[in-house]
Amino acid sequence: MRSSASILTLALMAVAAGPLATQALGQATGWVMPRTADGRPDLQGNWTNATMTPIQRPEGVGLALPVDEVERREQGRWDRIQRGAEASDPDREAPPVGGDGSTGAAGGVGGYNNFWIDAGNQVAMYNGEYRSSLIVDPPDGRYPPRTEAARARIAERRAVRRQHGQYDNPENRPLAERCILSFGSNGGPPMLPNYFYNNNYTIVQTPDHIMIMTEMVHDVRIIRIGTPNPLPGEIEPYFGDSWGHWEGDTLVVETMNYHPTQIAQVGVFAGTSKDLKVTERFTRADENTINYEFTMEDPSTWTETWSGEVPFKRLPGQVYEYACHEGNYALFNVLSGARAQERRDNGR
Amino acid sequence: MRKTSTTIVLAGLAVLVAAVPLLAHHAFGAEFDRDAPIRLQGPVVRLEWVNPHAWIHIEITKEDGTTEVWMVEGGTPNTLLRRGLRRDCLAVGTEIIVDGYQTKDHSLTRANGRDVTFTDGTKIFLGSSGTGAPYEEELLRERAAQGRC
Repeated sequence: MRSSASILTLALMAVAAGPLATQALGQATGWVMPRTADGRPDLQGNWTNATMTPIQRPEGVGLALPVDEVERREQGRWDRIQRGAEASDPDREAPPVGGDGSTGAAGGVGGYNNFWIDAGNQVAMYNGEYRSSLIVDPPDGRYPPRTEAARARIAERRAVRRQHGQYDNPENRPLAERCILSFGSNGGPPMLPNYFYNNNYTIVQTPDHIMIMTEMVHDVRIIRIGTPNPLPGEIEPYFGDSWGHWEGDTLVVETMNYHPTQIAQVGVFAGTSKDLKVTERFTRADENTINYEFTMEDPSTWTETWSGEVPFKRLPGQVYEYACHEGNYALFNVLSGARAQERRDNGR
Repeated sequence: MRKTSTTIVLAGLAVLVAAVPLLAHHAFGAEFDRDAPIRLQGPVVRLEWVNPHAWIHIEITKEDGTTEVWMVEGGTPNTLLRRGLRRDCLAVGTEIIVDGYQTKDHSLTRANGRDVTFTDGTKIFLGSSGTGAPYEEELLRERAAQGRC
């Protein structure tokens, strides 16, 4: 097992102590909340939310995972990484005609080597508790049901996309493929892991602004601090219009006015309306952790609000530039491939 | 090339190992032609450590003796930077083997790097983040002794 004995001991202490464990550990280690010159908790630095813990929980599983289950899951991930590092046969031939059977984005052609992947290899621990999902409310850890109106919006957006072929032009390609937004909801809000790579963030803080840069696709959010003076409804930037204020030592950020193309994506935003409101809460829990809570509200989309908790851990290293347009040959290849396929289909 | 039962089994394993059944920057199936598998072997002539995907250029020698440069797609270089990417990890002139699929536009000599290895079959990097797994430390020590990444 990769965990050192001391980490395991701390973890066991934390599980035994329950939700107050983080505070207790902080006291035990003599940790003092770092503060900026204006006395606010200092959230600055490089952080990562990479984790194995999925957003949604499988049905019938509790929120807290026992230590032996955590060890089993993390060992399984490490075994997979180890298999990926093993040598291949140097006499191997080309893969099979018709595809290699891979699924998902690998699309039957196999993607690329495992060494490019950095998906997170640990189960999320939040307030001393190992977690089976990032969603904590509803209590079953699953998205609440979508309303009839949300399902209608999903169908309508799909119909709009289908007016043109999905490879007809760059605008019909997904935002991530076009280097406009990161994978999934990496840039947020809510800022969630993409379960692939580069789940890293830099936070810079002043008394009146907080900047959060997501490594993937260099997504940058600017959060204004103070009494909200919201943008007019027709101004809808990517990542929405975010306003923050402090409640004690917790930074609370409320976001509305999302860009319609951002909320038309699949995943957490599927079916959402112009009224989507996301509330985030950032609390320093110890030297190496920010507790990140988020709540999703949109009465015409979900039958109830829902919330999640994600640990942001200090990143031991740098966040690197991700100049996505610099070498985006893939988008060219996708469109050029579609044109070549059309020529083949037309016998030219 | 010979095809013993052993190599078939190994090739089968390579499929499992190389496959990345996750979300990604783009759908590989839209970019590459599953009916155009390729195996390439040759020296690296250029590296583009760029986002969103790194591209490795290699020169292959065709049966008629002429040469051709192919571009091979990898993942984000940021992950490799965190794993200790150095200029010499895949130096120009290093011979590598690539298996993958050609782009759907066959006029391009481009392919995905489904499995990219040195000529002895070893991987260019280990799939680790340096978090200290015992197997990893041992492999890293061995590779450092050989001057590898």
